[in-house]
Amino acid sequence: MFELKRTPFHERTSRLSLPQNWRRWAGYLVAGSYDLVLDREYWAIRDAAALIDITPLMKYVIEGPDAARLLHRMTPRDVLKMAVGQVFYTGWCDDDGKLLDDGTISRLSETKFRLTSAEPSLRWLAMNAVGMDVTITEVTDQVAALSLQGPKSRAILNRVCARPLDKLKFFRLTETRLAGKPVTISRTGYTGDLGYEIWMDAGDALAVWDALIEAGRDYGIVPCGILAMDMARVEAGLFMIDVDYTAANHAWIAGQKSTPFEMSLGWTVALDKPGYFVGRRALEREHKEGSAWKLIGLEVDWQGLEQLYARVGLPPQIPGMAMRGSLPVMHAGKQVGYASTSTWSPVLKKYIALAHVQRPHYEPGTALQMEVTVEHHRLHAPATVVKLPFYEPEWKKK
Amino acid sequence: MAWDVILIGAGHNGLVAANYLAKAGRKVLVLERRNIPGGQLVTESFGEGFSVDALHASAQLRPDIVADLGLRIEASRAGAAYTCLLDGGKRLVIDADPARARAAIAEFSARDAERWPEFVAFMDRAAAFLDATYRTAMPRLPHFALREGLPLAGLLWKLRRLGGRDMFRVVRAMSMSAEEFTGDWFESAALRAAVSALAIHGVTLGPMSAGTGFTLMHNWLNRGGLAHRPIAGGVGTITAALIDALKSRGGEVRTAAEVRNVMIDGQRARGVRLASGEEIAASCVISAADPRHTFLQLVGAAELPPEFVWQAQSIKLRGCVAKVHVEADGRHGLPEGTLALAPSIRYLERAYDAAKYGEISAQPYLEVTTSGNVVSIHFQFAPYALRHVDWEAARAVVEQRAIDTLDAYCPGFKAAVARVHTITPRDLESDYGLSEGDLNHGQLILDQIFFMRPLPGWSKHATPIDGFYLCGGGVHGGGGISGASGRNAAKVLLS
Repeated sequence: MFELKRTPFHERTSRLSLPQNWRRWAGYLVAGSYDLVLDREYWAIRDAAALIDITPLMKYVIEGPDAARLLHRMTPRDVLKMAVGQVFYTGWCDDDGKLLDDGTISRLSETKFRLTSAEPSLRWLAMNAVGMDVTITEVTDQVAALSLQGPKSRAILNRVCARPLDKLKFFRLTETRLAGKPVTISRTGYTGDLGYEIWMDAGDALAVWDALIEAGRDYGIVPCGILAMDMARVEAGLFMIDVDYTAANHAWIAGQKSTPFEMSLGWTVALDKPGYFVGRRALEREHKEGSAWKLIGLEVDWQGLEQLYARVGLPPQIPGMAMRGSLPVMHAGKQVGYASTSTWSPVLKKYIALAHVQRPHYEPGTALQMEVTVEHHRLHAPATVVKLPFYEPEWKKK
Repeated sequence: MAWDVILIGAGHNGLVAANYLAKAGRKVLVLERRNIPGGQLVTESFGEGFSVDALHASAQLRPDIVADLGLRIEASRAGAAYTCLLDGGKRLVIDADPARARAAIAEFSARDAERWPEFVAFMDRAAAFLDATYRTAMPRLPHFALREGLPLAGLLWKLRRLGGRDMFRVVRAMSMSAEEFTGDWFESAALRAAVSALAIHGVTLGPMSAGTGFTLMHNWLNRGGLAHRPIAGGVGTITAALIDALKSRGGEVRTAAEVRNVMIDGQRARGVRLASGEEIAASCVISAADPRHTFLQLVGAAELPPEFVWQAQSIKLRGCVAKVHVEADGRHGLPEGTLALAPSIRYLERAYDAAKYGEISAQPYLEVTTSGNVVSIHFQFAPYALRHVDWEAARAVVEQRAIDTLDAYCPGFKAAVARVHTITPRDLESDYGLSEGDLNHGQLILDQIFFMRPLPGWSKHATPIDGFYLCGGGVHGGGGISGASGRNAAKVLLS
């Protein structure tokens, strides 16, 4: 019988999760939340520290003289310019410039990289590596991963790591020991807050978890499920595969595919880098001609929303978690896009959404409307296009 | 000196394309890695007095190419017979003269003798249709523009003009096996085997393989019938004529100039780099090498989209031919013309079976031609990828089996053997630059012909690299000697 895998942290997380609302993530079971409501976990991300099991991320070690060349060719980023110890976030495309997946590239040494992805990527890596001197090893099951996110995350890590992390910059990594176990720590995350991701041998997983919980007790550390993280990532303007975009190789029709420019990832597309990379021609063309669509932030106007509910004698009703349903986005009575994830933002006290909007409506400041359902009636609340991210605390990159 | 076009490989397709381009005023340079030009059209010396047509016993360029380029090629000699060696010392001699062929066939079947002229006429019409197909650009399926359909409509009109019965037969025969197709026409086992031998000539297929109906038409077209039409002076005289013509048009051929890679900048070809390190710039580069070698070695996978690389890797080459050239001491006793050792369809299929399992046929299909004292044996099947031995050890096996098998059907032959030069599929790859020793630059099988040659979606000589084209036998029109793909590539470039 097919069974979802359990992460090396399952022994701890399964005892802590009160609602037992397990979610499926890349073939693993992970906790949706540990409490019946998400507030405590969410606020740990924004005010203290949240410990999240992110083991299901697909992980690949790419090693050899041509390792940099392979990732340089496969992704639109200029990997040849990457320093050892640096981490890049990137999407990667098919040759039509349509996104297949996104993840991080960590340069562990001159000739060794780790790539994370959401979808199995071994075949695509191998197809791109033809003629190159490089070995590709999937280490998803061998490497456990935790994300420690929140303004107190650094202080907690400094208590248990062999060396303080004060000098570790945003999107850099270091190798150290945590509770005596060898770990790689990268200053990365999926919340838009100060945060770190800790990569360790699966056999060391429980020792590392226990040490972090112990060290974090005084700082209010909270084990956090992926539902609270989902709210934080929308505030951070970070999108999710299969929710906010469809991988090109999974799309049923061409219209379901997206390019990095359409996903507002233009900053990752190094058109000035030398040589061929997959999708280059299509991306050059789109860069020149402009994108037909863009992923943007949408802030719903609270007073406008209040008025819609006031008509039926209710205060605004906003779901207390991120919603993955598609909501039409309108302009002058015509649909010009859709929101793919919407959420109440507790820290901003705003109703926000990640939305895909047609040209020319994607410029910041544009007034649009987003669908809301008021007592079973579909209405349109006024909303404004804003720059992403919605929320970026000053300590995120400090 | 700035070149308009550099052609990689001075084989017949490279030289044909070069001539068309030079004729249109382009400054053309042809680069050949070997010390002698010609590719597969070479008359080579393997020792004093031991000069042979190394790979092909005869060759013809399409008549329109000869006319367009004003080539001075001595007319090939028709009239040679196709002789099938049968068990028990019997022979079936199919003469080019229809009356004599009928008389010979009548000894095996009166009915078949009656049908023979009709069969030859049908095959000539089928070949003419294939010839028209090979001069029609194939649509880039699955995504093709409507205007690409126009030449195709013309082709369908030609097909229609074959008449209902022949049209049906041609289309049906392509996907049939030679065994079934010849069974539609003839009852005599000897005659069916004689025709089936041509169907499997040069391809890694047996007479019971689907698609050998197509390869029969293809080989019939290129050869102009069953028997070779040898050329006085050897096939190398065609190469010489092509080079003379090219030079007179201001083109240049450089031998011992191996291209290491195509220089690419911004997904556009800028010229080539030679193995010596020399760089030669050109505004356009055309490769006459096989597509797999071209894309994976000369261009390099790193310059190409991953899906394209995957497809290029998947091109089926699978060479299975060895050539055994024998210098005899004057008493080989073989008749003139083309000799085929193909006593039965079952014999041919068994010979092919060995190739399936990575073995050299214990009882091979041989096609033998003579030129004075020199006997050239085309040996099938000698698969490139041998399972239990390497080709250094297997060379002697092929040599011995070729000579022993021929001796069994032509007693006394072995005693006349003086010198032998064998070309294995490995040699075809290392010396002649044919990947996996495939003479056709990619097997002529149903999923690798027409709009699927060299790759689905890339049937028009262009590549993902701007200014870089293919003109060799691995593209539509190619496989075998005709010059069609070289001509077509030049026409695409000039249009």
